[in-house]
Amino acid sequence: MKKTFAGVLATALLMTGAACSSSDDSDGGTPKPGEKVELTYWTWAPNMDKVVDGWNTAHPDIHVTVNKQDGGDPAVTKLLTAIKAGSGAPDVMQAEYQKIPTLVSANALADIAKESGGLKSKFPESAWTAVTLGGEALYGVPQDSGPMMFYYRTDVFAKLGLSAPKTWDDYAAAARRIHTADQKQYLGTFSANDPGWFAGLAQQAGASWWGVDGDTWSVAINDAATQKVANYWGGLVQEGAIDNKPMYTPEWNAALNDGTQVGWLSSVWGPGVLEGNAASTKGKWKAALLPQWDAAAPANGNWGGSATSVTTQSKHKAQAAEFIAWLNTDPAGIKALAGTANVYPAAVDSSAALTAPPAFLSDQSDFYTVAAEAAKITKPFTYGPDVNVAYSAYNDAFGKAAASKKSADFPAALATMQQTTVDDMKNTGFKIAG
Amino acid sequence: MSVSTARPVAPVTAAPPPTVRGKRRSSPLATVLLLLGAVYALFPVVWVLIAASKSSGELFSTFTLAPSTHLLDNIGDLSAYRDGLYWRWMANTALYAGVGGAASTVVSAMAGFALAKYDFPGKRFVFNVILAGVLVPGVILAIPQYLLLAKVGLTNTYWSVLLPSMITPYGIYLCRIFAAAAVPTEVLEAARIDGAGDWRTLARVVLPMMRAGLVTVFLFQFVAIWNNFMLPYIMLGDDHLYPLTVGLNGLLNQGASQPAMYITVVTGALISIIPLVALFLGLQRYWRVDLGAGAVKA
Amino acid sequence: MTVSTRTPRTASRRGRRAGAPYSFLAPALILFTLFMAAPIAYAGYLSLRRVKISGLGLGAGARTEVWAGLSNYARSLSDPDFLPSVYRVGLYGLIVVPAMLGLALLMALLLDAGRTRVGTFSRTSIFLPYAVPAVVGSLLWGFLYLPRVSPVTDVLGKLGVTAPDVLTGNWTLWAVANIAVWGGTGFNMIVIYTSLRAIPTDLFEAARLDGASDKQIAFRIKIPIVTPSLIMTFVFSLIATLQVFAEPMTLKPLSNTISSTWTPLMKVYRDAFVRNDVYSAAATSVVIAVATFAVSFGFLKLVGNRAFNQEDA
Repeated sequence: MKKTFAGVLATALLMTGAACSSSDDSDGGTPKPGEKVELTYWTWAPNMDKVVDGWNTAHPDIHVTVNKQDGGDPAVTKLLTAIKAGSGAPDVMQAEYQKIPTLVSANALADIAKESGGLKSKFPESAWTAVTLGGEALYGVPQDSGPMMFYYRTDVFAKLGLSAPKTWDDYAAAARRIHTADQKQYLGTFSANDPGWFAGLAQQAGASWWGVDGDTWSVAINDAATQKVANYWGGLVQEGAIDNKPMYTPEWNAALNDGTQVGWLSSVWGPGVLEGNAASTKGKWKAALLPQWDAAAPANGNWGGSATSVTTQSKHKAQAAEFIAWLNTDPAGIKALAGTANVYPAAVDSSAALTAPPAFLSDQSDFYTVAAEAAKITKPFTYGPDVNVAYSAYNDAFGKAAASKKSADFPAALATMQQTTVDDMKNTGFKIAG
Repeated sequence: MSVSTARPVAPVTAAPPPTVRGKRRSSPLATVLLLLGAVYALFPVVWVLIAASKSSGELFSTFTLAPSTHLLDNIGDLSAYRDGLYWRWMANTALYAGVGGAASTVVSAMAGFALAKYDFPGKRFVFNVILAGVLVPGVILAIPQYLLLAKVGLTNTYWSVLLPSMITPYGIYLCRIFAAAAVPTEVLEAARIDGAGDWRTLARVVLPMMRAGLVTVFLFQFVAIWNNFMLPYIMLGDDHLYPLTVGLNGLLNQGASQPAMYITVVTGALISIIPLVALFLGLQRYWRVDLGAGAVKA
Repeated sequence: MTVSTRTPRTASRRGRRAGAPYSFLAPALILFTLFMAAPIAYAGYLSLRRVKISGLGLGAGARTEVWAGLSNYARSLSDPDFLPSVYRVGLYGLIVVPAMLGLALLMALLLDAGRTRVGTFSRTSIFLPYAVPAVVGSLLWGFLYLPRVSPVTDVLGKLGVTAPDVLTGNWTLWAVANIAVWGGTGFNMIVIYTSLRAIPTDLFEAARLDGASDKQIAFRIKIPIVTPSLIMTFVFSLIATLQVFAEPMTLKPLSNTISSTWTPLMKVYRDAFVRNDVYSAAATSVVIAVATFAVSFGFLKLVGNRAFNQEDA
């Protein structure tokens, strides 16, 4: 037993060395000229380590290490905990647009207006507003955006003589037609698991769930535009024209594969997901603009998209800002983002990097033209400091409504979402209008 | 009947002699019921085995219980994922479970022995406090643990997972039972009369007598750490330090814009179970816990 | 870890036996204090704090931590989702604990009776789920539950039976309970089996010679003797049940029925990890910890069991 114990101690001592060497992420103050700076970058985009390799080779003085995260939500949770604890945060952080107010409110993101303010002209206004929150400060540089797009099975549409729906009325008619022709088939599903998806649809209808006036917030989740969207989906779910099961489940994957889900209201990154989950249907899909509420005034919403930010715990703000500028505005960075990390870069002059359509839709040569149009007509939308509360309220309230399949429950769920969000903000001490 | 393993089952060295039960007429009903139990337990495991043999296209398109031939391809893909990160996770898990399990066994053995065989002021209080620790769920501990470890800069290191894993109130509770049952007071008295100190007695007499019980405690803690999710999930930011549970969870939840890597996860889950299954089969005779041992003796 | 340097040399003067237990306990107590007691105390502290916002709540210094009194507790207990989640876990416990322990006892008795050739195989198989992390186990069962990917639905469909969608409505509780029973039966079976094997044969050989059946021996002799083990497995199962978390958490994305506050611990997780409100989470944690404590010790008091506090042999 003594031996074992000594063994434990020895192993433990050995590991102290290992642990120490791996934990000094952001030590050291301002570096002397010529001294190498180490930056850590939390991101969940695939292959980002390879993208960063390109930077590291070209910039021997500033070495960036990628720590791959499990996705937007866990990364934010970890960052907020690290901020609260006072240490452990990375230097650079990928942050979804809707999380930025939350992170800023927790003082997690550094203001880099001085370092990167000059990049404004390189990005569309909607993306730039998301990282400035409409003020003077700059909390990151837009990295990728997610204009919504509609994907549909051309073979199924052709068989029934349908064409891509131009309006939501067309979509509803197509959904009924498809489900009547084959009771197992649906044009889509209402997913209570994906608040970002619903927010994008509301954004298209003209909603902006939060607003700022002076030092007062307003919450407009239960506004006329979002009510219109909720009622629309409640009606389709009640009559059974579309499914009520969440997306991103094994069952949904199976449905995409076996042709019982024949359409998907998604985003510009949709082809990658379809390729991973329903590879057997390659060549049968096509992308289009989202159906419209008013065909004369086309509009769109966002689902996904993120910025690259510097955290308040970084001791190398200037170097971090330099890396971020390269990643999101340098032609080499944009090219790697689009080609290697497979995201849709937020920068306006990304068209050079986006010529060939995604492999899954290799027949649709105009894919990125459609995507650019979708991005152009995207409506402005303001996120608030408790998006997480509103989103988890969406999961619960709309989960109940979707399970009940009663159209009246959908607007009720929206009211619950509004109430929960307002209550939380009031309780935390935010000033709320109305 | 498994006469060969019919050894004294309580980890009690001073227990009554082995009770060898004679071979008896077999009962079809007992056989059927036990087989039903086995089928119920094995069904999901068989499912993973079949699922892991499918290509990712087949996973969602062919009949669920129809096996395919892609197991080796899938293992290859899993190994290729980010330069073999999965195997690093496996090694990390083995490190967390092995070192954490061993350390917690030593700590528990010493504490359990002291609580079982010594009388000292505060004994009852200490035992009750430690026992209350059994009741505290890991979810509740994780955040305050993180905040406290962050204050000393230990988060996102091997230590942040290892140190909290070294204390197991349940292990101390078990060790107390084992020590009470396996170490006769007379033996301790004899050692004392021979002039052996407490530490010497512990190392030379007590621990060997408790060996079977200690292996059990080690196995428990090993499994508990191997399967732990919440603690490493919150403590670690660098995925090169992840254990399997956290790593696989990450592959499954990649966010909306990435397809979930189901096949990789299923294959990874299958492989992650294998070391534990081996441990069960290899050390089967140690898998016995007599929670009522003391009470039965009394 | 001053294990080897603390030789009994100094202690022996004051009486070797007096100091030894404390030094044996020292590592456990230090670790316990650092990694359990201190975090719990810290959680208690956090439960009395809250965040205060100034202005729009953006940027540095906009958020300060202030004393909250008991307001977090008031909010936690008055949350309309809290009581239903407590009832739900109560009902869940009523399903899981008897089903799991009943199955475990039945399997253990069958194994102990030794009237079968499949003992080793069955024992190992039934124990196997214990090796599967709850997260992975729930994922596997999730696949088996979803109608479109489940082989059960396929097979029943071929027989002309429409299988229910077990992740909807009232089925959900049973679906989650099944995962817990699957994962926990083997472990409890081994515990009970171990106790059964410790019973000296002569205790029931006489009864057998008198013509008692296996069933009579089981009910009249074996079960009464292993009752202390059963009580302890009951208490530990009860504790695990009250803490149900991983199973519903893993199934949640697959079902509209499982809300983010489906069980009390899920509410803690939501508050801490989704809403980033560690203060409310801490308050709910304290409530849960106290309740678990009261239930388990209350039960032990009720049955007057001495296994927890058994005295030295």
